[in-house]
Amino acid sequence: MNDFVPWLAATWLSRSMRSITWLWPLCESIHFFGLALVIGGAGYFDLRLMGFMRRVPVRAAHAFMPWAIAGFAMNLVTGALFVIMAPEMYFGSIAFMAKLFFIMVAGLNAIAFETILGTRLMALAPHDDTPSSFKVVGGVSLFAWFAVLYFGRMLPYIGNGN
Amino acid sequence: MLEQLQNSAFSTWVTGSDSLLAYPTILTLHTVGLGIVVGAALLLDLRLLGVGAEIPLKDMRTLFRFFWVGFVINLISGLVLFAAEATDKAKQPVFFVKLALIAAAVVITVRIRRVAFGGSTASPGPASSTARVLAGVSLTLWAGAIVAGRLMAYLK
Repeated sequence: MNDFVPWLAATWLSRSMRSITWLWPLCESIHFFGLALVIGGAGYFDLRLMGFMRRVPVRAAHAFMPWAIAGFAMNLVTGALFVIMAPEMYFGSIAFMAKLFFIMVAGLNAIAFETILGTRLMALAPHDDTPSSFKVVGGVSLFAWFAVLYFGRMLPYIGNGN
Repeated sequence: MLEQLQNSAFSTWVTGSDSLLAYPTILTLHTVGLGIVVGAALLLDLRLLGVGAEIPLKDMRTLFRFFWVGFVINLISGLVLFAAEATDKAKQPVFFVKLALIAAAVVITVRIRRVAFGGSTASPGPASSTARVLAGVSLTLWAGAIVAGRLMAYLK
């Protein structure tokens, strides 16, 4: 890891992207827009899974998930560019590790839901309350996404010069 | 006056304190609020543009409550962030661009509430063409507000 960070920072790709001054702010803007798509789309579904907004059929609330995934993809790409442009900010950062951890929690939680509980979702009548397994999945997801946001925004401050 | 604001005990604590609870946490609250405000607005816009058309428009009205909660979080955290660096922010043209974009976006969101989500029809279905245009404008304005907000850190 000690050699990797300076190596990555010295690569042609990292140097040439850093030399484009507007690239970082552009990626940040996209990253924030993607964040809103994830919080909006996933948060909406999570709240329905937790049993709120029962007039909305669970399956219908699921319709915004592809947009949440699109937001996540935008953030995965722009996030990777941040790491390539400024590896020293991310490798060894506790906040970045925490952020990755919560992305993993949210991701595994979503995969577990879609694969294991997905069939129960299809069987659910439109206005039904959700089973407690759904409520747990929704709560974990909502918490994890806000934790991802928290550690992402706190990244420049946690463990760096404080 | 801006200088007095910036030099107040509270403002100097926000910018000068080493505590993670000062500037970093207030900034993070502002980002949490952004996620809620823009997240809710985007869902409403997407619904008008045809996503989740199974959901009756009136049943999505709850999202306006989230929208306003997020808005208040950002109004308060934004005022604190402004107070902390009042003289610098007041000199940044892009700050006023951001405020103008947000003002326009809020006006459009209120109109969307009236035009598209005010009715009581329980049936799902497509939105009117006026509503779809408003949704497109709303999406653009919120994206613009985010870009302007980000640029505040760079165009000093």
